[in-house]
Amino acid sequence: MPVITVYINGQKISTESGVTILEVCKANNIPMLTLCHLKGLHDIGACRLCLVEIEGVNRLLSGCTTQVADNMMIRTDTDRIKRYQRITVELFFAERNHVCAVCVANGNCELQQAGYAVGLDHIRYPFLYPECNVDTSHPWFVMDHNRCIMCTRCVRVCTQVEGAGNWGVMNRGHDVRIISDFNTPWGESSTCTDCGKCVHACPTGAIWPKAVAQGQLTKYPEMIGELVEKRKLLQ
Amino acid sequence: MKKKLATVWLGGCSGCHMSLLDIDERILEVAKLADIVKCPIVDGKPFPEVDIALVEGSVTSDEHYEEILHIRKQAKVLVALGDCAVMTNITGMRNYFPLQDVMAAAYTHSPSNDGEGMWPNHAALLKLHGKVLPLQSVVTVDVVVPGCPPSADTIFYVLYELLNDRMPDLSTAQKLKYG
Repeated sequence: MPVITVYINGQKISTESGVTILEVCKANNIPMLTLCHLKGLHDIGACRLCLVEIEGVNRLLSGCTTQVADNMMIRTDTDRIKRYQRITVELFFAERNHVCAVCVANGNCELQQAGYAVGLDHIRYPFLYPECNVDTSHPWFVMDHNRCIMCTRCVRVCTQVEGAGNWGVMNRGHDVRIISDFNTPWGESSTCTDCGKCVHACPTGAIWPKAVAQGQLTKYPEMIGELVEKRKLLQ
Repeated sequence: MKKKLATVWLGGCSGCHMSLLDIDERILEVAKLADIVKCPIVDGKPFPEVDIALVEGSVTSDEHYEEILHIRKQAKVLVALGDCAVMTNITGMRNYFPLQDVMAAAYTHSPSNDGEGMWPNHAALLKLHGKVLPLQSVVTVDVVVPGCPPSADTIFYVLYELLNDRMPDLSTAQKLKYG
């Protein structure tokens, strides 16, 4: 891979081409807010938190899906980016029913951490209060759609790492839902291997083991990336 | 000149007031700078004119609605204290259902009344609204303090800043917390 030069927040950085802005930022300790990104999974730019401004491009682009190019002038820290990041996190909270006080992931939730990172102290948009199902049909795990932010980390880990393809996505807009098989109860799934990778990949309290109570959930999402690396060694 | 401080408890569990009491001896620091002129254990006087009003809980009924409009007129600085006041929190969990279903679940179908319970309906009782609202959907809120409850440290920080004529900033003070 040829080596190219990019400028991130004015800092001159040499990097190989063919990598994303997020990868370059991570390699150079430049902080970048992410939520749908998980090491080991393909990035899809779903959460719109890793926004970057690129000179000559009018709109904001997602750092996880945009590849670097030679002499690219990138900014990750402008007021415009911070404003949009806060709006995005607020909309996550307003879209479904996130009640931190009763959530298993309270205190160990990537959505909460994103809120703290963008300085979110209240939500300026009307809450939608959609009626969402809680699927408890699986013997060990629960899928609570109230707390889902549609990052699709569960869908991607199930397809790309486990290879089972149990999880999918149904509908569009605010009717969008994660589904098991063809929208059937998770406990009746013929594809789920009960591996629990989606439990660890989920950034919020949407997928959790039945054995935990409020605020007791601990997850280990890094496991996914480690697993992918280990499997490469076997090939 | 000492400031006037008042606290009120709308649709909440009083946990935020418990957390306020958890500031322990630091209440003496507050008392040096302010008189607490109204709180849930002060008998039924109307909400007086104050410098700072700490409002716990969300707006769930006609009574809360009237009260928060009155408090807004009386208070120079209105503080939304706790997740219920800021984002409805647990009190808002009934918003997913029609009010009739909520009442039926509580008064008709709960195991203790065998499907024969009477819905409370007296002129002196408050009337529940169909949807629970956070304070900022009803009035202008000057300071928001999320948390269920906000920690005693956070509440003291907010009070101390306000009593010294500064605006608290929970984000830079790294005191943001939900749940």
